Amino acid sequence: MNHKKNQNLENLLLLFFLVIALFVPLIFGSNQYNILLVTTVLIYGVMATSWNIIGGLAGQVDLASFAYLGLGAFTSGTLLIRFNLTPWIGMIFGGLVAVGFALLIGIPLFRFRIKEVWYALTTCALVEILKVVFNMWEEIGGPVERYLPYFSGSPYHMRFGSYVPYYYLILGMLVIALLVNSRIARSKLGFYLKALGEDESAAEVLGVNTRACKLRALVYYSFLIGVTGAIYANIYGFIHPSFFNGQESIKIAILGIVGGRGITYGPLLAALLLVGTQELLRASLGAEVSGLYLVVYSVILILVVLFKPKGIATFFQFKNKKPAKQEVKKKNVI
Amino acid sequence: MLSEQILKTSKLTKRFGNLIAVNQVDLEIKKGEIIGLIGPNGAGKTTFFNLITGLEAPDEGQVIFKGTNITTMPPHAICKLGMSRTFQVAKSFTEMSVEEAIRVGAYNRRGEEEVQNKVDWALDFFKLEDIRDYKCGDLGLSSLRKVEVARAAATEPELLLLDEVGAGLTAAELLKLMSELKRLNQKTKITLCIVEHVMQMVMGLCERIFVLDAGVLIAKGIPSEISNNQRVIEAYLGRRSYSESSSTG
Repeated sequence: MNHKKNQNLENLLLLFFLVIALFVPLIFGSNQYNILLVTTVLIYGVMATSWNIIGGLAGQVDLASFAYLGLGAFTSGTLLIRFNLTPWIGMIFGGLVAVGFALLIGIPLFRFRIKEVWYALTTCALVEILKVVFNMWEEIGGPVERYLPYFSGSPYHMRFGSYVPYYYLILGMLVIALLVNSRIARSKLGFYLKALGEDESAAEVLGVNTRACKLRALVYYSFLIGVTGAIYANIYGFIHPSFFNGQESIKIAILGIVGGRGITYGPLLAALLLVGTQELLRASLGAEVSGLYLVVYSVILILVVLFKPKGIATFFQFKNKKPAKQEVKKKNVI
Repeated sequence: MLSEQILKTSKLTKRFGNLIAVNQVDLEIKKGEIIGLIGPNGAGKTTFFNLITGLEAPDEGQVIFKGTNITTMPPHAICKLGMSRTFQVAKSFTEMSVEEAIRVGAYNRRGEEEVQNKVDWALDFFKLEDIRDYKCGDLGLSSLRKVEVARAAATEPELLLLDEVGAGLTAAELLKLMSELKRLNQKTKITLCIVEHVMQMVMGLCERIFVLDAGVLIAKGIPSEISNNQRVIEAYLGRRSYSESSSTG
């Protein structure tokens, strides 16, 4: 029952958000800088929403999101620079390369049952390793920015002379990420991911192929972020090894956790709130009180940990009923 | 009577360093039976379960389930073949509701269209409808155990292994659980294999009993035979002849 109610509320909230999001460029439209800020916030929203598949539903604290973003950016960017391939196709390749790399890492990791903190540490290292590799790989990367060919207003090159189309592109990605998320959460895969996220051996004896399920989650996650990476490169107009950003990868995981693991719109909510205030403060007060956004950011984090440890999104959820008092509380066996 | 074999182990052995947790165990379970597996603490009962369900790999020996050699199969494939289990320390999906936890099991044999039917069947069979929306993490131990049995039964197994489902329950809860397991066995023809410390439960429920001690199968037979078996009594209480200095194992 609550399940249904929560679902309806979820749809309502998302619809409300989308309607507002559609009109945002009309409000900020004249100021390109503001549009870029809002787009940045949405990029974090897309990434955190995608992270929710592996980190929220499947419970694997993945800290490699910017590895897939960077791979998507470099694939699409290099294809554009070298072969003049339009980013509209390049971004699909970006997603596929990210998936390929995710499988390359995921298969051995899950084969040897690397999980929990060890999974987090491994994926964390992954971003840094890729950064070094692309710094040294002179043909593709190198320490100097590689600029994408600049054509003002050439849709073929994903160039528009305004940030507004990028805003809608990212918004489109966000809608896709949200749809993928909620479809998975309601399907067999979603139930299997939630189960294995809580206890792998309990899930396995119920017929859950944990390795295959985790790999599928990793594929969805890396593809969505890989495609986003391709758009990211075009928004900024260059590719650079600094795209492989370990610190920001951790931030994506924080957004996913603070928003509410496994709740479709939770990570987005956290991104809007945390990254939103951060960008707002940085833009408005950054010159006078530098670092103020970090104070606000951490205060919000502390408040969430104290009062809503299951995530901000639980504000908007109907609680499950609790058993009557006479039920004996779970006691230790033996 | 049905005497078709459902599970057979031959020379099943598992070593942890110098300790032989399961030592050359040969046993067979027939279709439709309720089997008890007993033994003092550390006898290797749980390890034995882990070996059959694929959670641990044996060092020697074979497990044959319904004519298939499953010795090296992963747990999920064994579950697909028709074997599931519960755990000694209840491993619940704390964040999921009772209904959702059972749904995980029901997906084993049912697609999206049929899964809800199976979930409803399990909720009804184990009388869990009243608590279907509760989170597993909020449940008391006796409900939690029931949910665990229900979600394993929802996978539609032919053989269900129950690892100390009675542990920590009060006498009244135990009786209720026993009658439910009996009913499950009769209605669905699921073969049950029960690891248990609570003698009352084993003796009242099981048709045949296997006794493990220090990894070795020391006795098998019907309950009355087992309760009079000298080796079993020794394993549990120690040897009579040097009663003062002997250990109880």
